[in-house]
Amino acid sequence: MKVKDILSSNTFELITDKSGLNNKIIGIFASDLLSHVMGNASESNILITVLSNINVLGVASLLDLSCVIFSHNIKVNDEIVNKANELNIPLLKTKLPTVETILILSKMGI
Amino acid sequence: MESYSREFKIQKNDIGNAGTVASLTKRELKRRGLTRDFVKTVTIGIYEAEINVVIHSYGGYCVVKINDDIVDVIFQDIGPGIECIDSALTPGFSTASHYAIENGFGAGMGLPNIQSVSDEMKLTSSKEGTRLHMKFNIDGDCYES
Ligand SMILES: Nc1ncnc2c1ncn2[C@@H]1O[C@H](COP(=O)(O)OP(=O)(O)O)[C@@H](O)[C@H]1O
Ligand SMILES: [Mg+2]
Repeated sequence: MKVKDILSSNTFELITDKSGLNNKIIGIFASDLLSHVMGNASESNILITVLSNINVLGVASLLDLSCVIFSHNIKVNDEIVNKANELNIPLLKTKLPTVETILILSKMGI
Repeated sequence: MESYSREFKIQKNDIGNAGTVASLTKRELKRRGLTRDFVKTVTIGIYEAEINVVIHSYGGYCVVKINDDIVDVIFQDIGPGIECIDSALTPGFSTASHYAIENGFGAGMGLPNIQSVSDEMKLTSSKEGTRLHMKFNIDGDCYES
């Protein structure tokens, strides 16, 4: 499964440019505390979070996460989107709450 | 391989650049052919220590040294220090500011995480500053085969 494969459903909106869409996805991690992400997420995980700040990208890049999904229709500012483009980290948005996002991804086979 | 030594300045509250030491060290470790697992371990330790200097201290510096046997990292800041080291090491204990919490920090898991990923960790502190020394041993298993 790749990032581009989960984009085919209408659940997710891609807010970065097209880089990183071939990133491999292995598993899901959801948290809004960076130390928990840092200590527990694994390479190629999707990160689902409502934490929209620049440090999420730092962590995503350090851990080589596949992409970040912002749930609950959270606002993501341009600074974050630009930085993600620079780092080639795909950012996705969804109106769904975190739990439903996980359920949908799990149905897709992740 | 040749040994590596690099010093970094860390500014108080410079959250935008937090993670630079971790990221550049990660690059160097990968270049040296160390495994993803080993690189991740070191990266976690450095990131947490780096964030602590950014959000809890008046600023400081970090020295990263790498040779074939060890990754040796020292973070030194200029205060205000840790009042009680035992409490600071307790999982969940945090005095993080509102600003830090808004930015996703302050889970109180940084020092416990550092303790669990490093082979050796020494934390000393006074009002004049906090010094965190961590070591990660490199053995044959740590290299990509
Ligand atoms: N460099 C530092 N200077 C001053 N206090 C620190 C420093 N590092 C850690 N601390 C103290 O130790 C506590 C626990 O640190 P940590 O486990 O990393 O959790 P967190 O950073 O999420 O609060 C901090 O809340 C803070 O009170
Ligand atoms: Mg911390």
